[in-house]
Amino acid sequence: MRPHVSVLRLPRGPAPNGRGFDPNSPRFIALCPTTISASTETATDSVQIREEQRARSALRESFLRTLIAMTNKQVQFHMYERVKVEAKFGASDIDVLNFQISELHTPIGVQKEALLRCQDVISYSFDL
Amino acid sequence: MDTWRQLKPLEWCKYVNKEVKVTAHEKQQHHGWVFTVDPVSASIVLVTFQEKGGTPTVRVVTGHAVQEVEVLQEGNEETAGRLRVIFTPPGAHTLGPEEVRHRKESLRLWLEKNRIPVEEKGEMLCVANVLTVSAPYGAEDCSSSNEIILARVQSLVESNPDSTPDQPANS
Repeated sequence: MRPHVSVLRLPRGPAPNGRGFDPNSPRFIALCPTTISASTETATDSVQIREEQRARSALRESFLRTLIAMTNKQVQFHMYERVKVEAKFGASDIDVLNFQISELHTPIGVQKEALLRCQDVISYSFDL
Repeated sequence: MDTWRQLKPLEWCKYVNKEVKVTAHEKQQHHGWVFTVDPVSASIVLVTFQEKGGTPTVRVVTGHAVQEVEVLQEGNEETAGRLRVIFTPPGAHTLGPEEVRHRKESLRLWLEKNRIPVEEKGEMLCVANVLTVSAPYGAEDCSSSNEIILARVQSLVESNPDSTPDQPANS
């Protein structure tokens, strides 16, 4: 078992008003696209809006189940610049911007706990 | 490059239960069966089944890295079923409406026997106006803002002699 390296940089804390999926929060505006895909209210009729919302919740629920299945598993992250790291997945935040992971294997050692920026990740995989 | 992220949820739905080839940044190419697309991050969840029936591999391509998605094969009921099953947590089973009703009745009678005021409010049991129990009326389905009452009622629910344990006890 490789020894742990000491913490290199602490992450910034959460914004005081950043609870829930708030599209006006500064964090969301800074990091996420300014709009999520949605049909505009004016053009389409309400049936389509309902269908779209139903589709959105079904897709999101399946994705949350994926995250649940990933908890406490070894996950390989393929990042930019051909960087590949492995860690144990802990949790994700609501906007899928950061992953909390443990035992992150890096070329300079094992980080006991880390926050991974999802914007730096191209794909990640795990076995069920 | 941003076209994938601009798609609407109904358009993303069209890719679910299809085998696709995803081209991502840095020339990464992945293929697998689409389980879902996250509407928040546009990430594609791909499942690859092993030939010899081992555990499937799940690969998620983050939405911002997706360049192109090409459909290779359409799925059918069988693939949809296989995808659904692998993400169902172990030990979870669906209860029929009769079973759920029976559990509600059994819990209500047990609480009344222990002199706890309980009334039915639609699908939920309302205990002393401060705690609600929703289906399937297990200890984890109690919800209250008062921790002391919550703890008391939860231990009562667990000690219900009529309840059939449906999962291995974790306490």
